[in-house]
Amino acid sequence: MDRTSSAVTGTGQPSERPDRLFIVLTLAILFLTIVPVGTAVFWLGFARGDSPCVMCWEQRIGMLLISLIGLFVLRFGPQPKYIGMAVIISAWGLFMGLRHTGMHAARDVGQGFSLEIFGAHTYTWALFIYWVCVVVMGALLLMVRSEHLRAGPRTLRGIERLAGGAFLVVVGANIVQAFASTGPPPFMGQSDPIRFSFNPRHWNWSLKEWNPARISLRGRWSVDKPDLATLVGDPAAGPLVNLPMLTVRERKPLKLALDGAPTDVAYDPATDQFLLTTASGVYLTDGTLGRVNRHTIIDGGFSVDLGRIAGAAFLDEGAVMAVGENKSYVILRPNDHASANSNFRFFLASRDKFDEVSRARFGTVRARLLYIMSAAYDAASNSIYTVTVPNNRAKRLVVSRFDRRDLTLSEEYSPPLSPEAGFTLVPKRTLDELAVTGATVADGKLFALSAAYGTLLTIDLGTRQVVAAHAIPGLRHPTGIAIKGGDLYIVDDAGMLTVVARPPAQGSD
Amino acid sequence: MEFLNLVLIFATAFIVLRRPGRERLAFRLLVVSTILMVFLFSMATRTGLLPGVNY
Repeated sequence: MDRTSSAVTGTGQPSERPDRLFIVLTLAILFLTIVPVGTAVFWLGFARGDSPCVMCWEQRIGMLLISLIGLFVLRFGPQPKYIGMAVIISAWGLFMGLRHTGMHAARDVGQGFSLEIFGAHTYTWALFIYWVCVVVMGALLLMVRSEHLRAGPRTLRGIERLAGGAFLVVVGANIVQAFASTGPPPFMGQSDPIRFSFNPRHWNWSLKEWNPARISLRGRWSVDKPDLATLVGDPAAGPLVNLPMLTVRERKPLKLALDGAPTDVAYDPATDQFLLTTASGVYLTDGTLGRVNRHTIIDGGFSVDLGRIAGAAFLDEGAVMAVGENKSYVILRPNDHASANSNFRFFLASRDKFDEVSRARFGTVRARLLYIMSAAYDAASNSIYTVTVPNNRAKRLVVSRFDRRDLTLSEEYSPPLSPEAGFTLVPKRTLDELAVTGATVADGKLFALSAAYGTLLTIDLGTRQVVAAHAIPGLRHPTGIAIKGGDLYIVDDAGMLTVVARPPAQGSD
Repeated sequence: MEFLNLVLIFATAFIVLRRPGRERLAFRLLVVSTILMVFLFSMATRTGLLPGVNY
């Protein structure tokens, strides 16, 4: 039933002149079949023993399906249903490439999964190849004429038959590899496939991918933002038992005109000033927290997304730092002669009181995928500290230290309870349950205040252990802590100030 | 399951190349293969369907 045409004319009659559309399409089929898929099965698979993971298999199959649609077009012409399928599969292929590359894209240089070709791992090439498919399909569509749409089944020319034969050979080889490394149904591909072998004794067919698992859009990236309202403040319900209680000296509302609830506080004895932050505001007040000396409102959407400011610290030489829950930070320096026009890009209000020194992000390892709600500066080590808060996905209390000079992660640990601390954990409870929302450093100790269970941890920065812990009665959603003299100044999200006697010195210095 | 899908693809290509009169069957097999590919990839990534990066 095949006709002998190699192209179509304006009247739909056969023509002996080769059609540019089908020549380019044939070359594209040959390229897509032989270069990525053929190389993957013959060279990477049979010659080098590489087995595709389950995602690689589907990406490889997607490429074969696009080639197969090319064969449909060679045989039956560029019917809209073929074009539609090709677009859908290419779009899905791009998504698969993004999904797969996204797992490894942020790793360190040279790291990745399985083999590398010309400096990029196979899944990265899959993303690129699907992109090329879309581009080539667009170019091919530009060559389609109305005569092509009226054509019936075509007789394949020599090179077109070659493309069909190559396709069958490559698919046949993939069938062999798939049978060896994934097995017949219901077995399916594996996340971590073992090396390919023609020896059946080395085959490992798996049903692991069928095991029940929770369906999620973002998996471990589905991290809820911190919410103080979910925390229990009663120290008696916490993971530590028999905590000594600190004495509350004073509790009063802050009488400051802030643009929102306080999110942290710090104190600078050199200038006798407090630093208060709100979700996007930075305030310098006098030493009584009674008057705002200067303030500004950060434009958190300019350049680096600061998110909600949750930590504040005085740095060296009068500079102040505000750290967002997402560990992005901004460093400001007070300046009585700041240019409001120059600072228009940085600040939403009061643009002539500060200059922005820098705005960037802290990178962490252990604290990755955990938000923070505190920041503290240690002059002795010239470092900034942050402490994580637990979330719906992970509960880990991680102390991170960043060197002030390059603002890069320099130390990270989960502090254990010191044997000399004098108290114990409730069975099956851990310090990871604590949600540190305020932190400050003094005398080689990091004082970390947890809004969960109203507990103040004293962490020795030398031994990296929790050397003391105290309960603070009556706290409700504390957000920041500062040390002034012998007192702890604690602010909460209702704008209350609680002054507590500082715990007695403990542990090694 | 990948083995099954590749066999389907092989059969579809064979029909296109050697039995063009059965185009409807070939196209249906193409659609089945596509759905199977989407299903298997989604199965493999169901604990995190979207790319695991910042949005």
